[in-house]
Amino acid sequence: MLGLVSISLVLAVSVIIGLWGVRAARSTPDFLVASRRIVPGWNAMAIAGEYVSAASVLGLAGLLVKNGVGAMWYAVGFTAGYVLVAALVAGPMRRSGAYTVPDFAEYRLGSPRIRRMCGLVVVVIMLLYLIPQFKAAGVVLELVSGIPYWVGVVGSGLVVASSIAVGGMRSATYVQAFHYLLKLAFIAGPALFLIFLAGPERREAAVNPIGSTADWARPLLDLDGSGHPVLATISVLVATTLGAMGLPHVVMRFHTVAGARAARRVAVSVIVLLGLFYLFPVVYGLLGRVVAPRHEETDVVTVLVPGQIVPGAVGAVLMALVAAGAFAAFMSTSSGLLLALAGGLSHDLFGGSLPRLRLGIVVGTGLAVALALPSANVDINVLVGWAFAVAASTFCPLLTLGIWWRGLTATGATVGLLVGAGASTGAALSSAIADIEPGIASVLLAQPALWTVPLAFLTMAGFSRPGSVPDWADESVLRLHMPGRYSTEAQSARARDSV
Amino acid sequence: MPQRIRVTSPQTRLALLRRTDARRSLGRLSGRGTVPSTAIDLAAAERAMRRQRRQAVRTVVALGITLTVLMIGANLAPGRWGWAVLFFAPYPFLLALAFVHVRRAERIEADS
Repeated sequence: MLGLVSISLVLAVSVIIGLWGVRAARSTPDFLVASRRIVPGWNAMAIAGEYVSAASVLGLAGLLVKNGVGAMWYAVGFTAGYVLVAALVAGPMRRSGAYTVPDFAEYRLGSPRIRRMCGLVVVVIMLLYLIPQFKAAGVVLELVSGIPYWVGVVGSGLVVASSIAVGGMRSATYVQAFHYLLKLAFIAGPALFLIFLAGPERREAAVNPIGSTADWARPLLDLDGSGHPVLATISVLVATTLGAMGLPHVVMRFHTVAGARAARRVAVSVIVLLGLFYLFPVVYGLLGRVVAPRHEETDVVTVLVPGQIVPGAVGAVLMALVAAGAFAAFMSTSSGLLLALAGGLSHDLFGGSLPRLRLGIVVGTGLAVALALPSANVDINVLVGWAFAVAASTFCPLLTLGIWWRGLTATGATVGLLVGAGASTGAALSSAIADIEPGIASVLLAQPALWTVPLAFLTMAGFSRPGSVPDWADESVLRLHMPGRYSTEAQSARARDSV
Repeated sequence: MPQRIRVTSPQTRLALLRRTDARRSLGRLSGRGTVPSTAIDLAAAERAMRRQRRQAVRTVVALGITLTVLMIGANLAPGRWGWAVLFFAPYPFLLALAFVHVRRAERIEADS
């Protein structure tokens, strides 16, 4: 019951901050100019706030208990992606003046068809990413209040969709930044307490997994005893690291930074914030293996641990805090994802207007909820891993080649996106549906990034015929790397100032 | 009479802006723009981009090596301490990689 109260409080506070943010924005004519002056620290916190999802708060600890310490590679990959964001996309993307990946594709390749293609890929990635968020909301609500899973999922869908409609969730950078601080406080704070309260014996057992199988303590990710843990680990790392730089809702965030230099620096700050946060899910996972090893739903282990270590009122309070942190993760990520999904549906696929955007949110929520209902038994991190694998096989090559190679053509990009998206979603779906014998094949279907990413790069490059590169391609690429007043960065800044 | 101002939400304004931004850049690039394309020094831009690209490749390779070494290190760690390597080691290295890259990229920009 206490858990439900704390979750409602988080919800109320975010809506209040959001509404206040909207009012502040409306009363300031130069909101957009002001937004470019937001201190990079706030921007980084907003990115981290949106990025730290249920996969990080719940999924990591759950997978750690279930499969072993190899699950920590997910956190490493999620963070390592920002090294690539800083090195490959942040600066040039900001200079392009493009707001989303489809915008960038249209700017760079000059084809409305590629915009629609990208819009479709955005929808696929965002849906794959949303399903586990709703699953997380469902299992947490079930645990803290006993309401059935499906009621929790549908209810969360209603809450998120209506809170976006009110305009409260995404309206300002500080709502997202607030969510980062909230998650850090509600996950890290109780974790420190629990380390202290667990006592020397349980601490010793947690850091020194005696009695566990050798497989569990081995720092590699194995898939159902496939016998190829190194292969599986590398494929997960490829998916998470390369996928992070192709996530549409993250790329979008760099638009509110002052310029290319600041965009790169923000990416560096995000690494600090993520590195700090990712220490704590591991604490819950290691403690959870000791105090709650046999729970049938490992994805809720983070919320279970406090009650197992400290019985009574203190444990209940700690549990309520952790549940609220998990729900904050669900809220911030899913509203960001839903807006990107609705944008893809309404703006890029069907040529948008504001009513269409609202319709897109309703449709997107409906789809995600409907798909989350039968996914109750799939691990959160497995689903999120697929979203990253699709992003790594589609937008990662599109952005990398588009930014650094002028030979990329609209035809090459279209074919590459089709092949990358088809191969990665096809592999993930077939591993979810079919019953494949554990082995190399099952690893490469369940974690397809290792082969789908090179495949997508090769098709994009191979189908870009040198003869069909338009004469302005040279300039459109060089502009992305030019500091100074002829860059589109300066140009779009002027456009914005005159709005 | 004071000028009338259309009040829209920031999201709407961004959405409207997106279209003009994209059109503007595209119009410019296909030669219908306001600034002639000779306005940028193509040779200098070319040199700057090549240097940035070399730096980006170096960072990507360094990241690959870092992750490989981490994987080997975690698996060579004695007994049950593999998790400690993954807990403490990765983030400082990742931060250092990104930090060095950004410094070098900014230096290249200052030169060009």
